[in-house]
Amino acid sequence: MRREQVQPACLSDFEPDRLSCLPGHVIDQILSHLPLREAVRTSVLSSKWRYKWATLPNLVFDNQCHSVASQDHSDIKNKLLRIIDHVLLLHAGAINKFKLSHRDLIGVTDIDRWSLHLTRRSVKEFVLEIWKGQRYKIPSCLFACQSLVHLELFNCWLKPPSTFQGFKNLKSLDLQHVTLAQDVFENLISSCPMLERLTLMNFDGFANLNIDAPNLQFFDIGGKFEDISFENTFQLSVVSIGLYLNFETNQNRLRGSSSNLLKFFVHLPHVRRLEVQSYFLKYLAIGAVPLKLPRPCIDLSYLSIRMNFNDSKEISTALCLLRSSPNLQELEVLARPDEQNVLIHPYCGEDEYCSCPIMQLRHVRIDGVSGTKPELDFISFLLLYSPVLERMTVKPVSSGVTELMKELLRFRRASGRAEIIYQESP
Amino acid sequence: MSEIDMAVIKPEMMKSYIWLQTSDGSIQQVEQEIAMFCPLICQEIITKGMGSSKNSAISLPQQVTPSTLSLILDYCRFHQVPGRSNKERKSHDEKFVRMGTNRLCELVSAADSLQLRPLVDLISRALARKIEGRTPEEIREIFHLPDDLTEEEKLEPLKNITDDPRIRLLNRLYAKKRKELKERERLKNVEIEEERVDERSVDDLLTFINGNDRDAKAVKTSKSKKKNRKKKDQQKNSSLKDNTALDKKELNGHDTGDQSSDGNIIGETSNLLYEEDGTFSPKIDFDDGDLDDDGIEPAIREKIDREVADFARRINSDWTERMQDFLTSGRERTSTFSATNGNGYLRRHA
Repeated sequence: MRREQVQPACLSDFEPDRLSCLPGHVIDQILSHLPLREAVRTSVLSSKWRYKWATLPNLVFDNQCHSVASQDHSDIKNKLLRIIDHVLLLHAGAINKFKLSHRDLIGVTDIDRWSLHLTRRSVKEFVLEIWKGQRYKIPSCLFACQSLVHLELFNCWLKPPSTFQGFKNLKSLDLQHVTLAQDVFENLISSCPMLERLTLMNFDGFANLNIDAPNLQFFDIGGKFEDISFENTFQLSVVSIGLYLNFETNQNRLRGSSSNLLKFFVHLPHVRRLEVQSYFLKYLAIGAVPLKLPRPCIDLSYLSIRMNFNDSKEISTALCLLRSSPNLQELEVLARPDEQNVLIHPYCGEDEYCSCPIMQLRHVRIDGVSGTKPELDFISFLLLYSPVLERMTVKPVSSGVTELMKELLRFRRASGRAEIIYQESP
Repeated sequence: MSEIDMAVIKPEMMKSYIWLQTSDGSIQQVEQEIAMFCPLICQEIITKGMGSSKNSAISLPQQVTPSTLSLILDYCRFHQVPGRSNKERKSHDEKFVRMGTNRLCELVSAADSLQLRPLVDLISRALARKIEGRTPEEIREIFHLPDDLTEEEKLEPLKNITDDPRIRLLNRLYAKKRKELKERERLKNVEIEEERVDERSVDDLLTFINGNDRDAKAVKTSKSKKKNRKKKDQQKNSSLKDNTALDKKELNGHDTGDQSSDGNIIGETSNLLYEEDGTFSPKIDFDDGDLDDDGIEPAIREKIDREVADFARRINSDWTERMQDFLTSGRERTSTFSATNGNGYLRRHA
């Protein structure tokens, strides 16, 4: 029987000190749940605790590193420099993770020195976030660090030396707000054979993405690019692509050009989750959109697309995807509002919906609709061809769109179990 | 009847049990599916085929006592049921770790030895919560940590991990105290030489005061009478001695025990007394027969120290004036001592 153990009120002085006798890795674990500052402070507790913190595997220097926030920035910066110097010097043992993310750390070349020290200590995870100011140029010593397994950079400029051989053990790469040249990018990806996760957000310096990564499983990208293609990425299972650039589709130039959609899916046979964000669907819609992909995406179970309902090519592309995904269970469609200056393909009405497949959709979410004909046609199509639908959530772009509600009520449903939830925006 | 019994018993018998032996040697039976939640036990069963009978009971690591085992099994019993929601599990875990720190430490040690990582993680977080945001004193109290960093170690200034103004002040105080400690050390070395000389002089002085016919032993008895009173002063004495080395200004900011302005001055004077040993010894024309030069026992030396302090205290602040004279006149002092008896001495400076 378990009973609550309560410490007796009259604690004798001879209570054993069990905490200090715990094995080292357990104490490391306890200290790792504390912010670094508190962990280092344990060095004044007793003689045994003097250097227990010094084997902490993860060193995280962030805004919690010092107490007072209201001082002037250079003061805080100097303190932070001293703290990091002290901690790095006093630390013993292997450093697993180093994270530096402090809002006042700008224009600090000490990072070069610390990077060299960490490279020598075989750091595995390196996270550097420069909050403000110019892109920080990553020192060449970091590019020689072969122990890296996870590299995360924010607001940095990457220019590896000519001796750069790649990161042989790198499994996860996260670059956000970075600048690197086209060839640097390609070299970086292809020279990291173990790469499994790649995140790229808001990059500049290159516009053509050719991803050659045999072990890549997770790919998340958001930025402005012109072209994207995959090579040798048969393991890729989670893909999220956001093209933040609304480009003019020049009809003349692109007539007869190969379908981007086809090109895109050639090397993604096993994709499980796909997110097509911002203007990427427009990009995919370029070229002759087939009715169905030559090879169906049998593993695709989750699809999220941002679509302009008034552009017929985009709707065709979406329908092609739906036809080619026999096992799709979850669908999310987010409406992208029409933009006045950009030319689109006008909606052709219900002719779009020919040869509709029976879908296995269970959960559908439609967001940002206002009750226009193309939208209603799409919703009606989904309801008619999803016999196992369990729930459809419709969120209008503004409240009080009663016409939409009326139509939704009217639509025939193939699934007897389907719930339609009309989510009013607050 | 027996059939009904069988029907009742049967489902129980269908569950398989395994035998576990805890650190104290006792063996107990535990449902297999619950025990298998612990990787170590699982391994023992699968790879070594242990635990199926009382004789082949799996002997658990020594950190697993019967009480911790029962807690661990409670944990496993709850979590191995698949149908529970995350909320339920979380709420159970929160209640589970509500126990004293000693129990938690025992439990985490046992769970770690059984390789039960989720429980180790849970308890680590609970222990971290008890440490976070507390002062070192509080943490020491909660976990019964000995406060055994030596004065020296504690005085090493905290690496300014925090910029607390209190820490800065503390560092300054520590720096002062360190200086003080160093002075103490230095003085101790000096005093060890001086003490002997002092004893002699005071002893002789008292002998003189109390009459020359008394032998040293009697003198000592008289001292022992005053023992009780002087014991209290002993501590004061040592601290008094120390402060004299420091600037008076520094004493204002200090918390060095019971200090009185009198104490300061007396301390000062007694120090000056000691410093005069050079001039004292050869010139004193006292009866040294009763005193041992070397080999004065520490206990007696202590008593004599107390005597000195008491004597010094009895002489009030006028002593400073007197000492000025001593310093200037040097040898003259010896004659001054010999020239007066106790009363006369006092009267002169009343």
